[in-house]
Amino acid sequence: MRTTRLYVRLLGAHLRALLEHEADFWIMAVATVLTQVVNIVFLTALFAKVPALNGWTFWDMMLMFGVVALAEGVGSFFFEGMWRLAEQINMGELDYFLVRPYPVALQSSSAQVGINGLSNMVVGGIMIGTAVAHVDIPWSAWTVPLAVVMLLSAVVIKVSINLATNAASFWLSSPTPLLALSVHQIGDLARFPLSIYPFVIKAALGVLVPFAFVTFFPIAFLRGTGAVPWIGLLTPLVAAYCAAAATVIFKRGLLRYESAGN
Amino acid sequence: MRAYYALGRAVALSAVTYRTNFLLGLGAVLFQLVALLAVWRVLLAQSAVQGFTWPQMQGYLLVAFATGTLVSMMSDFRMAFRIQMGLVALDLVKPLDYQRARFAEILGGAWIEVLVVAVVGGATLTLTGGVATPSPAMLGLFLCSMLLVIPLKFLIVYVSALACFWTQSYVGVQMARFVIINLLSGALIPLAFLPGWLATFAQWSPFAGLTSTPALIFIGRVDPGRGLVLVAVQLAWVIVLWFGARLIWRAAIRQLTVNGG
Repeated sequence: MRTTRLYVRLLGAHLRALLEHEADFWIMAVATVLTQVVNIVFLTALFAKVPALNGWTFWDMMLMFGVVALAEGVGSFFFEGMWRLAEQINMGELDYFLVRPYPVALQSSSAQVGINGLSNMVVGGIMIGTAVAHVDIPWSAWTVPLAVVMLLSAVVIKVSINLATNAASFWLSSPTPLLALSVHQIGDLARFPLSIYPFVIKAALGVLVPFAFVTFFPIAFLRGTGAVPWIGLLTPLVAAYCAAAATVIFKRGLLRYESAGN
Repeated sequence: MRAYYALGRAVALSAVTYRTNFLLGLGAVLFQLVALLAVWRVLLAQSAVQGFTWPQMQGYLLVAFATGTLVSMMSDFRMAFRIQMGLVALDLVKPLDYQRARFAEILGGAWIEVLVVAVVGGATLTLTGGVATPSPAMLGLFLCSMLLVIPLKFLIVYVSALACFWTQSYVGVQMARFVIINLLSGALIPLAFLPGWLATFAQWSPFAGLTSTPALIFIGRVDPGRGLVLVAVQLAWVIVLWFGARLIWRAAIRQLTVNGG
């Protein structure tokens, strides 16, 4: 409870600092909305000419893009500071975090607010809402709560992968999180059905960095399609695994931290 | 001239120093290539869509990758940083034309981009078994079009970086520019797929020259006459933007305030 309350206050401080530059806030908001608008224009233009992509229709795809936008929005609004971990290690900023009575990972992740996350969450939410009204999912008393759990798990998976790959900076000791950023870019591949990819990419997105559990597997389960639909049921377990793995990696990494020497 | 040559040479030698930004830009373009290749391979397996066949689409996407990689190493982040920190004042006292100096740097760094395009293009061609290549005459036109991509893209990125004279942060501007180029240049989806009005607008905007024009010429979607017109439009935009950028630059430095330090 105290942890959450303090986290909100930490974020709030950065949010207020961010709103100092009002023009920048608007440019960022417009840029993220524009990104999603371009995605929607792309999907609309594509599906105006073809009925489906491996059985996935326009609204299914909209749902996938929406979930990714929402998960990314949560990541950047609440945990943007993770992206600064490499810099924090490199500059020895973790020294301050280590002497405060608050989890180091949370101090790091609250060190910045990505204002683009706000517009991404809103637009992603709208995309999911509109798509859900159109997709062919047989809703019932138990699929609705299951879908909510899966959406939450999707967010957890995305954020955990971010934390784990950024924590790799403890070993890589470069001031820019190149690994984390590249893995993040690989995540964009998961906006399309996994079935269209060659085996290597399927393995990478399904097992190595399980981005397929953010979108493809849970949605395939809800639609009752795909080669093995029940894999989607594993989503909450994968989320728990990712969160645990990210925590362990961060803790192991923190043991290696030896400040900047000044 | 010698000064600009020296600048270009310096960037050519230190091209690997900006590798982080370069690799990230490259990653974005590369993963888009992978995703779109996978999407179109499925969609075009049975029949052509909107007149595009699978070999044509492969050629189109490869050209889109090449044009997306060219000028991606441009140190526009460095330019933005220098403007925001006021270090641009040092650039102003140098007896060099700012715009030409930045362009010289682009030309200097181009070798590594051309190398990457050759490697990825070669690998894709080997993996997918070749694409339809144009006739020698059209190939010439294609090369002209690709050459024009360099100044055209430089100018669009340069103008967007000048926005830093008015804003505090560059990330938003950069992000907006990236998505607008992605859509209106035809890199994300060929312009023929867009709704009529948007396609027409994009076609005559400076953005079409960044991907659509060279890609359509490469896969032979346009006849030589139409191809010439499209390349002429590219050239016209290069000229307009070159002088337009100078006007913006003049307005920008007039309202620049650099505090001492």
